[in-house]
Amino acid sequence: MKKDIFWYFILTIVVFILMLLGLFLGSVDIVSFDENSLYIIKNLRLPRVIMCVLSGAGLAVCGAAYQAIFRNPLSDPYTLGISSGASLGAAIAIVLGFDVFFFSIGSFAFLFALLTVWIIIRIASVGNRLHITTLLLAGISINFLIAALISIIMVINQDSMDKIIFWTMGSMSGSKFSDIAIVLPFVVVGIIIIRIYARDLNALLTGTDSARSLGVNVERTKKLLLFFSTLMIGVIVSYCGVIGFVGLIVPHIIRLLVGADNRRIIPYSIFGGMIFMLLADIISRTMIAPSELPIGSITAIVGAPFFIYLLYNAKKKLNP
Amino acid sequence: MKDNLNDIIVEVNNISYSVRDKNIIENMNFTLERGGFYSVIGTNGSGKTTLLRCISNSLQPTKGNIKINNKLINKYTPKVLARHISVVSQNTEFLFDFSSFQVVMMGRMAYQKLLQTDSEQDLIVVKQCMEKTNTWHLKDRSIKQLSGGELQRVMIARALAQQTPIMLLDEPISSLDIHHQFDIMELLKKINKENNTTIFIILHNLTLALKYSNKTLALKNGKLKYFGNTEEILTKENIQELFKIKAKIIDNKHIIIQNNENF
Repeated sequence: MKKDIFWYFILTIVVFILMLLGLFLGSVDIVSFDENSLYIIKNLRLPRVIMCVLSGAGLAVCGAAYQAIFRNPLSDPYTLGISSGASLGAAIAIVLGFDVFFFSIGSFAFLFALLTVWIIIRIASVGNRLHITTLLLAGISINFLIAALISIIMVINQDSMDKIIFWTMGSMSGSKFSDIAIVLPFVVVGIIIIRIYARDLNALLTGTDSARSLGVNVERTKKLLLFFSTLMIGVIVSYCGVIGFVGLIVPHIIRLLVGADNRRIIPYSIFGGMIFMLLADIISRTMIAPSELPIGSITAIVGAPFFIYLLYNAKKKLNP
Repeated sequence: MKDNLNDIIVEVNNISYSVRDKNIIENMNFTLERGGFYSVIGTNGSGKTTLLRCISNSLQPTKGNIKINNKLINKYTPKVLARHISVVSQNTEFLFDFSSFQVVMMGRMAYQKLLQTDSEQDLIVVKQCMEKTNTWHLKDRSIKQLSGGELQRVMIARALAQQTPIMLLDEPISSLDIHHQFDIMELLKKINKENNTTIFIILHNLTLALKYSNKTLALKNGKLKYFGNTEEILTKENIQELFKIKAKIIDNKHIIIQNNENF
């Protein structure tokens, strides 16, 4: 416990250093604190860095929670089809040219994300219970279906293609303080609720019947956690686009380092997600400066090889 | 055998469980006494596991009801029920590397509030339970690296840590070798004697049922066919009726399976 507090302290410092780096690095070099530089830092880079921290923490914690709820190491925040739903919503809004408050890309993405999750949960519900295999398969099918729909939309509306592709790959570049004001409460509440139920997540990892015999109110806990994490991820996706692999691999890395207890995985995942996203954002902005790479592609380029390595190791364990 | 009403801890009242129109278990009626050692026998598909899952409230009977300590089972909150009934299953699959200690500590959840850290008392109980099951030396080992016998002893330690008057076990020894089967049964006998825990165990090994249990429930086609003192239930005739095999019982201790060529 004391050791954890020491590490939380160190990790907080690391996050602050990366945030500072994020403020000073980018397409425009900050050499002096003139009016221009201050404007860039305050209005462009600061909201962006804060958004990285929020989305990274939210995605990583949600990934850890989903891996326990679905008892599946391949689960990530997008397991329920939230990302494809959001992408479809965004694609429709982009094509129709919506850009006022209620009819914005973000709110369309959010609505479609929730709608998709709702459909998948409806498909997988058996009475009061969720059938996990059906849920995972339904998620995959809906993902394919929506990917096809988006392709069709893009082919019909070729002028919007660039914008749609860029949106789906994720970006922090347009982040504003007003966005943060919306994302922040969802992320904070989501993470707090998941942390409160961390012990129940441990029990759920041993199976539904086992968790119930330990005293967990299984169906209620699953619903509560799915509700709050879906809202959290829905909001993140609609403001940042689809940022893959953070929610999948950060919990796995943390688990390798601190063990399987979710009471420790969740706080460490907060830091892990923040650091991963801040680094990815810095790379995306500096690699081909003054142009910018989509952050989702950076997280995937780093994340995919690591994940393949994990799979390879798991295979070795099965077949020595 | 005492037949005092106060000693009845589980009351199963005419329960049936059916999926669509098919009855998995049908009109079962029996009571379990505090401190009893009950074995449940029957062929595959006779409804043993379904019965156990009803008593642990994992399944809700479609008909009838179950009372624990004279209170309907569905009136308990999950947490309070976990202080009355613990469950050990045939195999628990672990996805991630929990340590044995962490797994046994999960048994204390029923006594902990949300966000409350493991207390001094929890640590003491967990240590005692692990010492009793001879697993304390495994406390830092990953649960995924344990042998079958070690894993079941850890799972029994977890159930013990729940400090329940009733322990339900679903074929806990089916995947173990004979030595470890006896090992686990001896451990359960000790728990039954020292803690006065009611043991309700599904067994395939009739000799072990005869050796360890005082009462036996024999299930056939979803019905409670025989229920009573083990020696009276495990007779040559009953075994033939239940399993369609010929058996010979020596000294009320050993069951020898002879042949099944007539069937």
